[in-house]
Amino acid sequence: MDFPTVFHNICSLLRYEASAPMLFSSGLFWALFLVFLPVYALLKKRLWQMLTFVVAFSLYFYYKSSGVFFILLICTSLLDWTLSRLLAVLTVKWQRKMCVWISVIASLGILGYFKYANFFLWNWNAMVEGNFQPLDIILPVGISFYTFQSISYIVDVYKGRVAPTETWLEYIFFLSFFPALVAGPIVRADYFIPQIRQNNRATRDEVYAGLWLVILGVVKKALIADYIAQYNDLIFMQPTGYSGFESLMGVIGYTMQIYCDFSGYSDMAIGIALIMGFKLSLNFDFPYKSQNLTEFWRRWHISLSSWLRDYVYIPLGGNRKGTFRTYLNNFLTMLVGGLWHGAAWKFVFWGAMHGAGLAVHKASKPLLSRLPDNRAIRAVSWTVTMIYVSLLWVFFRADSWTDSWLIIRNIFTNFSPAHIIPFVEVRYVWLIMMTVIIAAHCMPRRIYDRLAVWFVSTPWPVKLLVFIVAVQLVIQFMSEEVAPFIYFQF
Amino acid sequence: MKHEYIGLWSLLTVALAIFIGFSCLEPVTLAGVELKSSGIADRLTRPVSEQENSSDAPAAQPEVQKVATDTASKNILLIGDSMLEGINPRLAAYARENGHTLNSVIWYSSTTAYWGNCDTLRVFLRQFKPDYIFISLGANELFVKDIIEKREGCLKYFLEQIGDIPYLWIGPPNWKKDTGINEMIARNVKPGCYFKSDGMHFDRTKDGAHPTHASAAQWVDSIARWMPLHSSHPIKMNTPTMAKSRPASVTVLQPLKQPLPMRH
Repeated sequence: MDFPTVFHNICSLLRYEASAPMLFSSGLFWALFLVFLPVYALLKKRLWQMLTFVVAFSLYFYYKSSGVFFILLICTSLLDWTLSRLLAVLTVKWQRKMCVWISVIASLGILGYFKYANFFLWNWNAMVEGNFQPLDIILPVGISFYTFQSISYIVDVYKGRVAPTETWLEYIFFLSFFPALVAGPIVRADYFIPQIRQNNRATRDEVYAGLWLVILGVVKKALIADYIAQYNDLIFMQPTGYSGFESLMGVIGYTMQIYCDFSGYSDMAIGIALIMGFKLSLNFDFPYKSQNLTEFWRRWHISLSSWLRDYVYIPLGGNRKGTFRTYLNNFLTMLVGGLWHGAAWKFVFWGAMHGAGLAVHKASKPLLSRLPDNRAIRAVSWTVTMIYVSLLWVFFRADSWTDSWLIIRNIFTNFSPAHIIPFVEVRYVWLIMMTVIIAAHCMPRRIYDRLAVWFVSTPWPVKLLVFIVAVQLVIQFMSEEVAPFIYFQF
Repeated sequence: MKHEYIGLWSLLTVALAIFIGFSCLEPVTLAGVELKSSGIADRLTRPVSEQENSSDAPAAQPEVQKVATDTASKNILLIGDSMLEGINPRLAAYARENGHTLNSVIWYSSTTAYWGNCDTLRVFLRQFKPDYIFISLGANELFVKDIIEKREGCLKYFLEQIGDIPYLWIGPPNWKKDTGINEMIARNVKPGCYFKSDGMHFDRTKDGAHPTHASAAQWVDSIARWMPLHSSHPIKMNTPTMAKSRPASVTVLQPLKQPLPMRH
């Protein structure tokens, strides 16, 4: 073995590379976690040493994903913490308000510059027909998540819901906690900060329950989502190249893909935090079981929807200012939620349509409550909700309005059952994956709980085997190309 | 280390050791399925020289004398394998910008053996009547052993079908060292008709093979920069204002379920 080469390669793996952020599903993360874990275990009961070590690891984790932007994270945390300490000593109302505004404007200003500057310039250019040169801006990974955490912290301190952390170290530990840093869940200060001082050691059962969540997450994200994405990408890249049936499969596929992708990553984050002895709140609760949009948003990306409820909807007036304002507040909140997902009109449209859907559902509640609560009604409710949610995912995913409409039109105007058999013949692996994840989604929660209990109580060699099989499946399918279709034009 | 973490740590360590060990072995087959390796050993021991790719295309063939650009609008046919998915949108933007018409035929998983063992190309030449052809083929043949012996006949027949129509062969974007496909193409095509992509840096999609959309767009940009200087028949390829567009038509062909009889 050529040790200088191996050393060079390890160093290059550890350096920041924009195209290779560190993900929980990557081998590099787990190799580093192997080094992290024993040190963390040794320092666990020495609070300040443990905090320093985890913060250093989190900042390295962020550096590996976003390069020098970890400095921005440090600056944000310093500003927030200083202002929160000021809030603790100030008693004059306008001065306290000023502290909150400075923090919120700074956080939103940074987010606005990195995420939305080009979007606004592009729109301004379109209005004035100017000569637009996009700014050379790189979006720091996870900025949307930690900005929302920072806002919620300062607002909660102002409202007295949470006491400001005594040290900056505790605050940056909360803001940069690596399991939730780049893709959530959005951690709330009132839930998380008390856990820092409690510094509870994870029990053996919690450690393995965490590992079980990680395995579930890896299977969802790196195996299922990444595999089915290959076919879905074909449909969204060439909307005119496929039949209506294939487009429909692509839309259903993307509906499941985005769920597996996002909830899988959340599962891994929650699992890693649990291994470390920290509890993060549930982020996805079988959202596609929802029978209406209101329920969907109680189950989908729960940490975001509850954040939007507490820091946008309620401050706007919530449901306290009459029926029309309630609907309007719902709509505006979802508009913000849409824009949070990305700087493009398609996300605004997606959010607006969800807002409109929520308003329509609220408005029709008196009518709906008169309907009998039986299976047929529930089935119709579920179908209508799922069609609406899935169609809106098309706008969320497609590159342009034209592509979105082409796909939807294709489903309704170019649908032929003749394409079903060849599709099944060629895409049987994709279909198996889809069947597995849909069946898994339909299972009741108690089955998952039982599986988790089984995994925790199973002997060590079985756990090892389960882990190895899951990882090998990911490797096996990672480079497996989805068989492309099959569309005869002559 | 506290006992609650010892079990987890040893589990992860044993798993890592198994995957590293497995990646050092020859491929293992289990119940007829080849178990893929994590590639950890390869990633750690790969010589530095193999990783340092240049970001633009190296010269592949003897230099041709610079030729004046043909500024007429062209009826372009783009044919090849799944790499076309990345090339299509950007090349379509070039076509629109420069007044060309682009028709595209994607034959998934296709190789020189596919195209060189049938008359499919003739069908499309009759259908689209192109006066310029882009070919992107070879990515599915990077690791074919004895490729020259097996595929050169097919390649020659494929080129024979093209005849005198000016063309440019876009070489496969290697993600590993090939067994001779690039050399075979380079020595059979006319001078100035081969853009060697091997040696360029690509950001890849999750499958590790296909360039990402952004990377594929840069690939096409590199080709457009290369053409006026090195192509034997450069056509107008001014940089488009729009990032991507849509070809006039996209024809998609399925992979073959059975191999065609070979032409030697």
